[in-house]
Amino acid sequence: MVGALRVAIAEDSAILRDGLVQLLVDRGFTITGAVGDPEALRSSVAQNPPDVAVIDIRMPPTFTDEGLRLALDLRDRHEGLGILLFSQYIETRYAAELLADDAAGIGYLLKDRVADVSDFVEALERVAIGGTALDPEVVTQLLGATRRTDTLSVLTPREREVLALMAEGRSNAAIASALVVSEGAVEKHVANIFAKLNLPVSENDHRRVLAVLRFLES
Amino acid sequence: MVEQSDVEQAEGTGVHVRIRGKELALAISEEHAAALKSLTERIVREPFTKRPWSELAFFLVSGGLAGIGIAFIGLTMVTGVALAVTFFGLSLLGLSLRSARGMGGWQRGLARSMLGQPVEDPEPFVGRRGFLGWLQSALRDRVGWRAVAYFAVQVPWTILGVFVAVSLWWDAFACLTGPIFDRGGGGLAVWGLVRGIFPGSPFWFQPGGFFHAVGVFILGAIFFFAAPWVTRGFVTVDRLLIRGLLGPDPMAARVRTLEQARTQTVDASAATLRRIERDLHDGTQAQLVALAMRLGMAKEKLEDTDHVDLDRVRELVDAAHRGAKEAITELRDIARGIHPPALDIGLEGALATLAARSAVPTEVSFDLRARPTPAIEAIAYFCVAELLANVAQHAQASRASVSCAQQGTWLRLVVRDDGRGGAELSRVGSSASGLAGLTDRVHAVDGRLHVVSPPGGPTVVTVDLPLSP
Repeated sequence: MVGALRVAIAEDSAILRDGLVQLLVDRGFTITGAVGDPEALRSSVAQNPPDVAVIDIRMPPTFTDEGLRLALDLRDRHEGLGILLFSQYIETRYAAELLADDAAGIGYLLKDRVADVSDFVEALERVAIGGTALDPEVVTQLLGATRRTDTLSVLTPREREVLALMAEGRSNAAIASALVVSEGAVEKHVANIFAKLNLPVSENDHRRVLAVLRFLES
Repeated sequence: MVEQSDVEQAEGTGVHVRIRGKELALAISEEHAAALKSLTERIVREPFTKRPWSELAFFLVSGGLAGIGIAFIGLTMVTGVALAVTFFGLSLLGLSLRSARGMGGWQRGLARSMLGQPVEDPEPFVGRRGFLGWLQSALRDRVGWRAVAYFAVQVPWTILGVFVAVSLWWDAFACLTGPIFDRGGGGLAVWGLVRGIFPGSPFWFQPGGFFHAVGVFILGAIFFFAAPWVTRGFVTVDRLLIRGLLGPDPMAARVRTLEQARTQTVDASAATLRRIERDLHDGTQAQLVALAMRLGMAKEKLEDTDHVDLDRVRELVDAAHRGAKEAITELRDIARGIHPPALDIGLEGALATLAARSAVPTEVSFDLRARPTPAIEAIAYFCVAELLANVAQHAQASRASVSCAQQGTWLRLVVRDDGRGGAELSRVGSSASGLAGLTDRVHAVDGRLHVVSPPGGPTVVTVDLPLSP
């Protein structure tokens, strides 16, 4: 665990905001700001830059996609700032917009995920250091919507599991522990997947995510 | 025979009438005398006002136009119907109907400009694509058929009307000027009706005689003052025909009202769904996420078996417990907003529950013979709930009453309070969920909502809902 990561929170529901602060402080994070609307987060981030911002998608004034607009804006202005979008619904369109040019330092999770505290904290840390964290729901939707079913059918069931975890943004080590196999086995699966799908091999985890997502979207 | 003699108008209250030698004093109340006077004045003035002349002009112009129109419509219609089995016949019929519709427009224009009678345009013709589509739409065009019906009645009526009115005016003119221009020897230019009235006149009534001249003059005067009213009678029938047959189709208007009501209902239910979604999203869902989060934290703390921070765990479980109870309460409120469970026991019980829950002491009287449909019950319930909430919030009332009774085929709800009054339809409810929302709901089932609330009170809101849809 990275010590004292700095986190800013924009969430209009006071109950959830307080809960998040409690959880993160408990886990040793430093909270630079916990606010209820986009403007407040903008100024909080400018004054006291965090490593990662947790942003609710539906916020005042219109309760539609303020959080997404804010995220895109903050990413342009503050290089290296990790952004974790936090929502009660998954909209694949939002994920696509968010990951349009880069998947580095981007996360998109269902709010329910906080119930599994460790997973949530791990995802947050990953985003903070420039990784990617996509909700399994997003990946399921992408896999369900892809027109590449023919190509995907050449993968073994195990390889498909690995592909899904890769798309979520997990590292080989994390995939290995999730599937309870050795890291070496995961590496072999990954190599097979890239070969079968004819994808450019990439060292970087978030580039790998992007490659997989591009493949699924096309 | 009644002869009026010595009309003594002592303060305009009595008239002495001698009937066959007996003298009668007819008492006329001042009111009647005044009415009689104003009627006489009106009759005397009428020929000198603009209205009868524009009506006559309208009659002449519309008669002329209709003459041209009916010649075309009649010809195409008759030929079209005769050849209806052929494609050409049907096309001709379509053309005829479209022309009738167009000429209906002229008539409306004339009525508007010459009679000052506003007639709304009917719904515009919308032809479907292609000639066949156009033909189908034209043949089914109710406006066109109604215009044909209009001309079928209007043309003979106008011909008769023009004949009668013009005769009257002409006779009036001829009779009034007759004695002046009459050089004797039967040169009186009496035309039309007068000829029919005096076929074989007695000798002193022969042309040239004094009585003849006086009689003709009086007759002329009668014609002169009667002509505007006769003309108006004919024009009024035409007006009614125009309004009834050339205006918007009542059926189409009904469809439009229903469409509007449906849109309002759809909007209202969309708004309701949005509100419920928002309530669930902001309230219950957030509560549950926070609850799961706390339990997740507690679980992790318990897993660290070496040193369990029991105080912290207790705190987390406590908060989670509180959150769970709040979530249950919120869910119950939301569910009640969707369908009030009180209605399951019937409207009477539900209204009694509402009254008992109201902050202002409220009496309920209930008199329905049969149970209304669930939709009507729900609307009645929400109306009373909203109105009682308004009473509690705005009226500063000390008492309120709710009555729910059957009036024929209507359910009449009356909510009354003794508050400060001054409520207005637009102001009573500040949002769509307020009175405006109620009005939409009530209109959606063809009901009525009526507010009487003078400043100082009391406020009475009456809602009528149909019992049989």
